[in-house]
Amino acid sequence: MKKALAIVAIVALAVPVFAQSGGTIKIGGTWPLGDITGKQGSMAAQQAVDEINAAGGILGRQLELIVVDDELKADKGAAAVEKLVTVDKVDVLMGGMASGVALGQIPAMKKYGKIVLATGAASYKVEEALGSDANWYFHLHPWDYNQGASYAQGWDEIQQKYSAVKIKKIFLAYEEGAFGKASWDATKTLFGAGGRYVVDGASFKSAALGGGDYGSMLEVAKEFKPDLFLWAGYDADALPMLEQAKAMRFTPKIYLGAPPGWPVGFGTSKLSENVMLYGMWAPSINEVSATSKKFYDGFVKKYKTEPATYFAPLSYSAVYIYADAVKLAGTTETQAVIKALEATKYASPLGQTISFTASNIIKHQGIKNQKILQWQNGRMEVIWPFESMTAKPVYPFPKWK
Amino acid sequence: MANKRNATLVVVLIIVAVAAILVWRPTVLINGIQAAGLYASIAIPMGLILGIVHIVNLAHGEFMMVAAYVTYMLCIATGIDPFLAMLPVALVTAVFGFVVYKLTIKQALKSPELNQLILTFGIGISLTQVANLIFTSQTRKISFDYVSASVDIGDLSFGVFKFVYIVIAVLMVVGLRLFLTRTTTGKAALAVGQNPRGAAIVGIDVDKTYGFVFALASALLGMMGAVFITTSSIFPAVGSPFTMKSFCLIAMAGIGNIPGILGASILLGVSENFLKAFRATRGWADIVFFVLIITVILGRSIKGKKA
Repeated sequence: MKKALAIVAIVALAVPVFAQSGGTIKIGGTWPLGDITGKQGSMAAQQAVDEINAAGGILGRQLELIVVDDELKADKGAAAVEKLVTVDKVDVLMGGMASGVALGQIPAMKKYGKIVLATGAASYKVEEALGSDANWYFHLHPWDYNQGASYAQGWDEIQQKYSAVKIKKIFLAYEEGAFGKASWDATKTLFGAGGRYVVDGASFKSAALGGGDYGSMLEVAKEFKPDLFLWAGYDADALPMLEQAKAMRFTPKIYLGAPPGWPVGFGTSKLSENVMLYGMWAPSINEVSATSKKFYDGFVKKYKTEPATYFAPLSYSAVYIYADAVKLAGTTETQAVIKALEATKYASPLGQTISFTASNIIKHQGIKNQKILQWQNGRMEVIWPFESMTAKPVYPFPKWK
Repeated sequence: MANKRNATLVVVLIIVAVAAILVWRPTVLINGIQAAGLYASIAIPMGLILGIVHIVNLAHGEFMMVAAYVTYMLCIATGIDPFLAMLPVALVTAVFGFVVYKLTIKQALKSPELNQLILTFGIGISLTQVANLIFTSQTRKISFDYVSASVDIGDLSFGVFKFVYIVIAVLMVVGLRLFLTRTTTGKAALAVGQNPRGAAIVGIDVDKTYGFVFALASALLGMMGAVFITTSSIFPAVGSPFTMKSFCLIAMAGIGNIPGILGASILLGVSENFLKAFRATRGWADIVFFVLIITVILGRSIKGKKA
């Protein structure tokens, strides 16, 4: 009798475990967890999973997010894909940030052919490595050439709408690494070709890599007298560069930054006022997007901190896009879900509807436009595209007092 | 006589070069000296430890990072200026340095040098990771109006605040010289640095002296970390690049030569900014750093062989 009871007890305990592991839809995520963008990306994905599960899950099944840290290293990223597919047996892969890591992951991704919803990897080299056959790859983040084209379009439209804004001379200050050099090449090609704009530039060593002295670069920029001064570096450069620009009385008509993120409390500094930036999301989008507000409120409630970069809403979107596709397909079977993903029309927290269309090589490119924003009264306001606009641009950048 | 003539020639050449740079592009000298001050004031505490304790502290930059975060938190919590925070932060980092010395470095003093390097390297990585866990990788910076203080001379406008670093470096050199030559503790430290066994024979407590020097260097670095946050953003890896730069400046100056660190820093800072003044050589600043080190060390070795 005792034996029988013991067997019944073991079975009773084991059944829910089996039912749970067999029943969940597994999402495998790789992000660099030591970096705030990756960490918050994984947190936002977990938030989306929890929200969907609280609403009853998908097809009566719960979602389960398994995250592996890629440590911003290509080999770790590749190992993470292997582990998620072969050990955890996930149904879908998502996440990512750095292009270098994505390049390392692509051979493993190709080997298994799992659906991938990529939240990072902007380099065109990643697209080249994928090739045109990778129909399982859904790229949410814009490619570098998409970003450049959208900025050019943005400035054209801004100049048309606001007659006071006139841009002829563009100066790019770029950090000495690969990111900065790619930005410089893209800027020369996009704005310098055809003689419509006069483009000049100078490099600087980013504070993130032991630099932080911008004097000689700013001297060149000041001599050039640009209408638009753009710097491509890291968040560590944001305030020290402004402080040095102020000391040198350098006041371009547009002062624009394009770092991947901004320092904690940048908006509280007086120097931030009217600085423009390229980006994809800001809390001000809550005013024009209900999904953004839902995401933002949920994130702050769950984690007691604000999303610091657009990688959080992008990762949140990735989970919802996949969940909606599984719901539409009625199964997690790869080909059925790919077909459903192709029909995606997701009103994302980024203030735009995401659907997948072809880019230069791959078939499934999500977002193609970036946004032009401006710091106004401590907030990032969207000034372009006009359909997501939260404030008018303040022009020109005021003279230093 | 020949040596005196050579020295005079070098001084004249330096004066001519400085005058030429001032006329051609004064910002080369201005930015160069400002950068040199920063390099020197971070490297001097490391030079003190290396000269007396004979340990290459590969966690040097991370010690400064800790000081920078302590200052940042203090300034945010109390609203005080980093210059006022210098003293309390120096006290905190002195205690921190002393504890690190007692718990770890002291245990490895008699180990092979490679073990010591691995130990301090490990301490540095641990500090960075702990800072990453507590503060995340997102950078932090407080803006201070005085950082943008500038001077206008004709069409030339330049920031003057960063000259504070060269003042700090000079104060460190003078202060340490006075301490090491005029005080009993300083003389004892100098003796321990030159010959620890001999110093022990004459009754100097070598371990106590090492602990004191480590704490003193940490305090100086703490003060420097406090000022550092006025001009720089802080993040967990902010200190790492300064460790190697400091070590190389010490190598250029010669171990134990604290005024030499200031000289090497000025040479490096001005050379870097000289190259940055030309479009074609703008990205060569890091190369000049290594070229200078190799030249100086090679020159010294050849001179030593001849002697």
